[in-house]
Amino acid sequence: MVLTPDFESRPVISFQRVFKTYPTGTEALRDINLEVPEGDFLFLVGPSGAGKSTLVRLLIREEKPSKGKIFVDGIELGRMKRRKLPYYRRKVGLVFQDFKLLPNLTVYENVAFALRVLGEADSHIRARVAEALDTVSLTGKDHTYPSNLSGGEQQRVAIARALVHAPRFIIADEPTGNLDPATAWEIMQLFLRINARGATVVMATHNREIVDLLRRRVIAIDAGQIARDDRSGRYHDDVAKSQVRA
Amino acid sequence: MLRNLKFALNSAWQSFWRNLAVSLAAVLSITLILVLAGVNLLVGHAFSQVLDGFRTKVSEISINVSDDTPLQTVSDFQQQLTADGRVTSVRFITKEEALAQFKADPQNVVFAQQIEGNPLDAKLEVHVKNLGDVAAIDTLARRWPGVDPADPTNYQGDFVNRMLELSSWLSLAGVALLLILMIVSVVIVMNTIRTAVYHRRKEIEVMKLVGATEWFVRGPFVIEGIMTGLIAASIALALLVIAYPPAVDRFKSDIGFIPLSYDPRFISILAQDLLLAGALLGALGSYIGVRRYVRI
Repeated sequence: MVLTPDFESRPVISFQRVFKTYPTGTEALRDINLEVPEGDFLFLVGPSGAGKSTLVRLLIREEKPSKGKIFVDGIELGRMKRRKLPYYRRKVGLVFQDFKLLPNLTVYENVAFALRVLGEADSHIRARVAEALDTVSLTGKDHTYPSNLSGGEQQRVAIARALVHAPRFIIADEPTGNLDPATAWEIMQLFLRINARGATVVMATHNREIVDLLRRRVIAIDAGQIARDDRSGRYHDDVAKSQVRA
Repeated sequence: MLRNLKFALNSAWQSFWRNLAVSLAAVLSITLILVLAGVNLLVGHAFSQVLDGFRTKVSEISINVSDDTPLQTVSDFQQQLTADGRVTSVRFITKEEALAQFKADPQNVVFAQQIEGNPLDAKLEVHVKNLGDVAAIDTLARRWPGVDPADPTNYQGDFVNRMLELSSWLSLAGVALLLILMIVSVVIVMNTIRTAVYHRRKEIEVMKLVGATEWFVRGPFVIEGIMTGLIAASIALALLVIAYPPAVDRFKSDIGFIPLSYDPRFISILAQDLLLAGALLGALGSYIGVRRYVRI
């Protein structure tokens, strides 16, 4: 099942004339205008250093915009008070290229960690973790440590941790960057399933094959600006490619 | 809340054991500091006991009454002194009582045998509330017409002033030493906790990303600091309790003229002070240590 995002409704993520310049003077993003409706699945593509990661960092409020406004679920991130930040992050599930698993915790403990910090009851944690591990097909690996898992399995644990608290948004930064093509595809299936359940997914990626196969919304960023926003796009702009060929 | 506390306690305990070498080094350093602080408190207490003894003695002034002073004049002055807010009590000692007291003192046995008649003055023994007011009472007494002009009072202004000065210097030095020791222990806890923060930086990063509040992240470190401080304080206290009585005995036998004594009641005050100081210093050190690194 594919959930069709309603582009006419009020966006859940909105970038309004956003600029980001780092203290070193590097201009990472320039005049970004972007609207993401609820349930959307969008790929952020572009060469390294184009500004994809900065956009992700702005979305999880690791950085504040230098100019402009970012709204997520009605909250303006730039003006959000620091003490409110944890509560915002609880609405978001994060997945990274390097998995960010804790090596001294088992699979179960890693996934449960996201609920522990919320102060959830043990019985509730047990049920939710079992459900999340089932979603990523890791049932039975509860007591295994990350070092005994393959890259794909580790990323699945990270996804289970990202979705265990039922977030409305999943933000993934190069989630298949460290995986072989077959495993990357498995991971993508998971993201699609999570999206089908209603979560909005924003994914920065370099994986051309996957972007081209899935034909979802593609936002190409180049030199800090949005170069292209296709509702059902490919990794490379077909027109630009044909011009290069010619 | 309780679940978060349980998590913080578990994390703190695990972190303490995971970084055992650093934790033990911190416990040892803080134990030494708290032993020094405890010795400082014990010595301070012992000296304040000794000083209190001296204070009681010098806060009493004897006003010698001239032989020809009528009893009514003495009684009037006694009433005037009793009514004075600075005075605790006034006692009139007749010439006969003064002689009897003199003879009763074993140090005066030989001298007393040679005394003919009664050369001693009658006197008013005045107890003053504050040591600092003895000088004012002395001045008042010297202006009184009934005083013996040859030997008005037994007030030794210089001695009292010097003692007051010494006492305030000793208190000041004690406070300064305590302050230095506190700062040193806060710095030690700070660095221990920073090491723990460094070891757990990945965990902290994940905590922040999954929406942990700052206090949820800081809590375990602050509890670890309190734990370090309390363990150190308990060891320091045990060492001091063991060493206190023999140290007093040794002091007494070496420097007998200073009336130092063992005060078992002070042990409970010392225990309270050390445990509280350990917990507070631990909490403060870890709070400062973790504050910069755990900002979300």
